[in-house]
Parts: sequence; structure tokens; C-alpha cells
Amino acid sequence: MKAALARVGAVAGKEVKHLLRDPRILAIVLILPVVQLLLFAYAISFDVKNVPTVVLDQDNTPASRHYVQTYRSSEFFDVLGSADDLAQVDRLFDQNRVRIAVIVPSGFARSIDAGEKAQVAVLTDGSEPNSAQLARAYATALNATYGQQVLIEWADRQGLNPARAGSIEPRLRTWYNPEGRSSNFLIPGLMVVIIMIVTVQQTAVTLVREREQGTAEQMTVSPLRRGELMVGKLLPWTLLAFADMLVIAVISIWVFGLPLRGSAGFLAVSSVVFVFAALGLGLIISAVAPSLETANISGLLIAFLPAFLLSGFAFPLDSIPVPLQWLSYAFPGRYMVAITRGVFLKGAGFPELWPQLAALAGYALVVLLASSVLYRRRST
Amino acid sequence: MNADAPAVHAFGLSRSFGTNRAVDGVDLTIPEGTIFGLLGPDGAGKSTLIRMLATVLAPDTGDAMIFGNSVTRAPDQVTPWIGYMSQNFSMYPDLSVAENLNFFATLRGVGREERGRRASRLMSAMGLAEFADRRARTLSGGMKQKLMLAATLMHQPDVLLLDEPTTGVDPVSRREFWRILAALHRDGKTVLVATPYMDEAERCTHLAFLSGGRISREGSPAEIKKVVPGTLFELATLHPRAVLAELAGTPDVLSAHLYGDVVRVLWTGDGRAERELTSRLVAANLPVTAIRPARVDMEAAFAYLTESERIREVTRP
Repeated sequence: MKAALARVGAVAGKEVKHLLRDPRILAIVLILPVVQLLLFAYAISFDVKNVPTVVLDQDNTPASRHYVQTYRSSEFFDVLGSADDLAQVDRLFDQNRVRIAVIVPSGFARSIDAGEKAQVAVLTDGSEPNSAQLARAYATALNATYGQQVLIEWADRQGLNPARAGSIEPRLRTWYNPEGRSSNFLIPGLMVVIIMIVTVQQTAVTLVREREQGTAEQMTVSPLRRGELMVGKLLPWTLLAFADMLVIAVISIWVFGLPLRGSAGFLAVSSVVFVFAALGLGLIISAVAPSLETANISGLLIAFLPAFLLSGFAFPLDSIPVPLQWLSYAFPGRYMVAITRGVFLKGAGFPELWPQLAALAGYALVVLLASSVLYRRRST
Repeated sequence: MNADAPAVHAFGLSRSFGTNRAVDGVDLTIPEGTIFGLLGPDGAGKSTLIRMLATVLAPDTGDAMIFGNSVTRAPDQVTPWIGYMSQNFSMYPDLSVAENLNFFATLRGVGREERGRRASRLMSAMGLAEFADRRARTLSGGMKQKLMLAATLMHQPDVLLLDEPTTGVDPVSRREFWRILAALHRDGKTVLVATPYMDEAERCTHLAFLSGGRISREGSPAEIKKVVPGTLFELATLHPRAVLAELAGTPDVLSAHLYGDVVRVLWTGDGRAERELTSRLVAANLPVTAIRPARVDMEAAFAYLTESERIREVTRP
């Protein structure tokens, strides 16, 4: 046992020396995550604000101008101006100058005065479905509010009490992220993606390099067990990736105002297990890859794509095709995204998230064993 | 350890890569305390054989014993006895000389104090002491080989398996390397060394000639040289390549090869070789400046054995 520990220590110590002597790797591991966090967090945003909008007011009455004004005063719509006819609206869409067109037909004021339902057309640019959908929702909400107001005014004028008219009014609330800020939703997942990118690729090349350097053969003629080799290689990286996770979390909280509502201790423990699992995934690639190039590319693909698509980071996991949902269990991302979102946003901890932590721990064990077995297959 | 068992005993050892039988049923016994040279042209299977003995490569069939321990069934009992030095540089280029030695010795289970003592002793014995803190990447070819040998010796193995340890190394460093091997031999270590250099083969106590994955000839250097029939002649000429082409395959010429600037001819005809060879070459308009008999050395033996093996391969039904 003591001899085994000495061997694991020797491997870990040697890995630390490799790291310290390769400034490129150090830069990748320490600086890249921060750069990625800043880039992604600023660049990827699902928030819809200031959507370029054009108005075509064919009624041109005080009522219609008042209605259009509600768009101008909303921060979701950026009313760039008024169009003269439908042909001009079409041109503006074609030129990508606007995404929304609000068309008030003539007769709008008359209909309202008569207590009828007034028709308004809101055109959205479907080539950007995400912003189109949100803009439509905002427009609907805006119209509903406006309609309510019109109704009250009308009832008032008729001497009726609108409060006596029975109606259902839904009160919708979004929990955990009441402002609906997409950075709150994205950053906990982003941490997972970044850690995957940094870690998987580093370990993906490590065993291949031992083979290419011939040092793998020297290890074979020593009492070093494969499991000891794997653990020794993972230890320094686990520490480093944990430090990355810490830095990302601190920046997210300070710079992006991400709330940390749950147990920081649970998050730390989960992070260690997660980085260990992600590094183990890299080792599997390394155990089977025939060359450094293959290891590098498969490391990038396996780290990047599943982390992006199959972790719940960008798309809710229950909205992706069922076979892909199954596939998502084969990557550590989905468990960790559930943990980071749960801890940061929902204030969750061990009692709620232990199944995810257990899954990660099991995952780490399986990939470690698998890499040992696959590495033996490959070397003889 | 079985006291009566030979250092290395292989039987029926075979290994293929795809359709290529790299090692084909090798039987081999290496007595303890010998320097056993493994000769053979490139691709003869020397590396494959050594890697199987070193437990690095699994044989398809057959087995080998190191002091009675099977490389296939009990590799863990084998590795403490052996030191294996691969053909390519196999140290960490970004670690220093001392760090490399320390790392591999730790894996081998050598204690901390003992590691320090042995490393400084080996480094000073091999002239590596002043390079202790140099990164292995920056060492010269000869230094790299010495570092690998030192790493191989850190756990004090009894059997050294060295795969072309001096290939690509300058002559001075080669001589130095062999001085170290001779010292190990005096200490009673068993050395198996693959080499393409015939002067090194002369320094071995035993030799085996490997060809097409099989051992075709075995014995001491003197015994190997004795199998070469006929008389060896050296021809000095201005056109050695043309002479070689002219003489190869003609009657009474068993083999012809280049040796530096001279052409070496193995003559199996009667005593008038000088006159006969000269007249043949004059007929081909290739004047010879000198022709003299030479002592059969390993170089000539190697050329003869390689040639005759090739002919046997070609004429095999």
C-alpha cells in the first residue's frame, strides 16, 4: 500500500512538473476559462431587448397614436420610425433593418369607440425564431394590457362597473430567476461547458504522449499498476480544474451578479467529483486514440458538443429527441448542470441533489476503470 | 529465483503483426553472466524479440523464462530482474537527468535515500554528473543513451535487455558505452544487446544471428566467423560499385560487398584467386589497384550470413 502510494505520488509529481514547464498548457488551463466565460457570457444571450420595430399607422387618430406610443415606451421594442405603406414594411424586413412591424389599420379608433374588438397586425421576422417568439409574446402581453385599459375606459364611459364583470386573470410568476435574465440561466451551465473543454482535452493527450515518448513501455516494466497511473495523472489536474471552477464561480458572482443561494460546500464537493469524471473521460480517449492528433480532435469534439447540446446548458433536456436524451446520460455534463443550476439559482444542496452527485461519483469510477482496461488492451 | 535456471530461456516464441511474422518460433538460451549479442538486418525481428522478453509485448505463442519466471504468466515476477532499454529515446524530455532517474527508480520501488545514492554514483560513473539538472531534451545523442542506461540500472537488475543502445551515437560515446557494459559484465550481470555494429558484436561473449524472425546461427564470435567458407579478399579499385556489380553472382564468388572503399569478395575457388579476379575485371575494363587476402571478421561473417539467408529465402520452395 505504501509502495503504491509512492508510485501514485511519483506520477502526480511528474505531471505537476510537466505542467509547470509548459507555459502553453498553463495559459490554456488558467487563462482560457476566464476568457471563455467572459466571451460566452457576453456573446450568448437569449434576452430580447430593443428589437428594431417599424410602425405603420393607417388610422392616424389620437387613439391609434396613443396605442403606438405604448410600443415606443417599451424597452423591448425599439421603434425606428413609421412606414408609409406595406411595400416599405416589406423592404425594411428584406434589408434586415427591422424584425417587427406593427400595423394599425384605418378604423381602429372607430372600432374602439363602438366597443368592438379593434384589429391590429403585428408582423414578426420568423427567420430568427427565438427573438420572433419572444417579441410576439411581449406584443401579446402589451396588447392585453392595453386592451384591458381600453375596456375599463369604455365601461367607465358607459357608466358600468367593470370590476363586477366576472373574469379570470392569470398571475404568472417565474421563480428562481424572476427577471428572466438569461445570464442567470446560462452561466451555471457555462461553467460546466468550460470545465469540460479545458479538462477533457488535456487528459485526452496524456497517455498518447506517454506512448509516443516510449515512457509507457518503461512503465510497463515497472510495478506501476494502470489504476495507479490513472489516479496519479488525474490528481494534479483535478486540483487545477477545481481552481478553474472556483475562479469561474467567483467571476460569475462578482461580475455577472449570479446569485449563490445554495450550499457552497456541496457545490465544491460536486465540482471535485465532476472534474474527476470529466478528466476520466479524457483518459478513455487517450487510452484508445492512435495518435496525438486524433486524441486532440476527439477530445475537443467529445468535450464540446455533448457539453453544449446534451447537458441542458443551451436546450432543455426534455425538448431534445429521445435517443439523444438517453445519450446525454453518457456524459457528465447533464448531472453537473443540474447541480450548478440547483445550487446557484434554487438554493438546493445535498438533500435535493444527492442523486446527481451519486451519478457523477459512479460515472467517475466507471470511466477510471474503463480507461485502465482499454489502456491495457491497447498496450499489448 | 531458480538458481539453476538460465538468465533467459525462450521456447517457440512467436509474434505476428498482421500477416508479417516478426518473430517466428525462436528458441533461445542465454546463460547467466554473458554478453549476448543479437545480430540481424533491419526488420529481422530483434526489437520484437526483446520487447517480448521485456514483458512489454505479449507473444502469440511460446513463452520465455527469466530466471525461471514466465514473461506471460508471471510478468510481475520478471520485471524486478530486468532492465529494458528501448531503441528510441524513452525518457521525459522536459524532466532533468536527475528527475528522470528519480522518477523511474521510484516506480521501481527504490527507497528515497537509495535513489539519491545510486543516481549520483551512476551519473558520475557515466560522466552525467555535470548534466544532472539539464533537461533530457537538451542532451546529445550519446548522453541520452547513457541516461537511459542509467535509468535502466537504478533498480539494479540482473538481466539487461538493450535494443540497439548505441544506434546513432558517435564512435567515442559508443566506446564509452561499451566500457560501461564491460564493467557490468565483470559484475556478473547478463546483457542481451541487439546491435547493427559488427565491432560491437566482436565484444560479445555469445552471438545469435536473427533473420526473417528466426535464429539461423548461434555461437561465440569465433564460432560464427568459422562458418564462413572460402577465403576473403579485399580489392582496391577506383570504381568499387562497378566492381561489386561485375563480380556478384559469378562462379566461385560466394559473396561480395562493400567495406568502406574496398570491395570484399569471399572466394571459394582454388588458390589462384588473385589472377582469376584480376583477369575477370580487366576483361570488364575495370582495373584493380591492389588485391590481398584478409582475415574474416564479424563484418564479413555478417555479410555472408545475411546473403546466404536471403538466397535461402528466395530459393525456398
